[in-house]
Amino acid sequence: MSERPTAAELAEAILEFLGGEILPTVTDRRLRFRTLVAMNALSIVYRELEKLPPEDDAAQRALAARIRAGDVPPGALAEVKRDVAERLRIASPRYLETYAEAASE
Amino acid sequence: MIAEMREVLQSVLGTALDGEPHLLAGGASKEAWAVDAGGERLLVRRAAVGVIHRHTLSLADEYGVLEAAHGAGVKVPRPIAYIPDLDGREAFVMERLDGETIGRRIVRMEGVPPQLPTQMADELARIHAIPRDRVPFLHEARLERMVEEFDEVGEPHPAVELGLWWLREHRPPPREPVVVHGDYRIGNLVVRAGDGLVGVLDWEFAHVDEPVRDLAFSLVRAWRFGVPEKRLGGIGDAEPYVERYNELTGFDVRADEVDYWEVAGNVGWAIGCLTQMQRHLSGRDRSVELAVLGRLGAEVEYEILHLLEQKGVT
Repeated sequence: MSERPTAAELAEAILEFLGGEILPTVTDRRLRFRTLVAMNALSIVYRELEKLPPEDDAAQRALAARIRAGDVPPGALAEVKRDVAERLRIASPRYLETYAEAASE
Repeated sequence: MIAEMREVLQSVLGTALDGEPHLLAGGASKEAWAVDAGGERLLVRRAAVGVIHRHTLSLADEYGVLEAAHGAGVKVPRPIAYIPDLDGREAFVMERLDGETIGRRIVRMEGVPPQLPTQMADELARIHAIPRDRVPFLHEARLERMVEEFDEVGEPHPAVELGLWWLREHRPPPREPVVVHGDYRIGNLVVRAGDGLVGVLDWEFAHVDEPVRDLAFSLVRAWRFGVPEKRLGGIGDAEPYVERYNELTGFDVRADEVDYWEVAGNVGWAIGCLTQMQRHLSGRDRSVELAVLGRLGAEVEYEILHLLEQKGVT
């Protein structure tokens, strides 16, 4: 399943934040060095993620287009809900716990 | 910059400032400055640098709405002056109300004022009674606009599509459009422990629209601030709020209409998360906060599906 921002795009955003907003405020020499090291490590993560092939979202696009046309496949809601729950387990795992129903899924 | 601001404010207010203006935290699109002058506590709302928003009011129009709301007896900070050029940007001055404005803190207040839900209905009924000719610059919004915004993002989101499909299939008969706040939720109120609701803030999304859309917006789960079991903004049940609103307006809003517009509010916010993300990805406004909303939108999508399931969609 494709998802924006991609992990690479998120890493890039954090790099920009660290370099643009945090680093200029760090005056302690040791902390400044460690921040640069952390940014370097994050840039490794970024480049590694960037090399990954883009995920195939053809099935998502097809389903989205079908629903837009008013042709909702039977069982679509349950299927989409499973997909969204899957995404939430990455993006915001504790959110699912706020639904009593999801606790047992 | 402070010196220039000081000078303009003193000439507009016709009195000397007591102390220096200071910038308050928060607000990505507007600055808020606390200023005291002539013994009055004031707040200066000023455009932030480089932020261009579609579908939000200019500060001149927002000030016009604030004046109209104040004139209609809505609890709002008293509008004091519009300033076209405050050190290069437009701004306005209003009264600075004392009280809690952070949603997360309001829902956790020591004994949330029990009258808060009915007070929210009181103020909303007054807002919806503002004569349209007092604010002729406000535009009418269409539900369809959110589809256009969604399509501009161009990412496939079947959960949002299901929400839009359900909204198309179940639209209640249209009601006469009224002046609406457009962002009426706990996080845009000023609340005090004893008095409850003392002010309605943030009028930049005001427009002309279906009244029930505005009424149901405060039920959206994202605005319950971590207290999801209390459907009205994390502070109470929806029924007393809707009942009170009906008493005051005579609109006779039905529960299924409220449900409909609650789904619409969620779909709108799911799309809002994606358009905020797009501000980052397009390079217009680079920020981790905006970027991460693209992922957190999944929370809102889950809620849409949860609501649809309750309506019997499978």
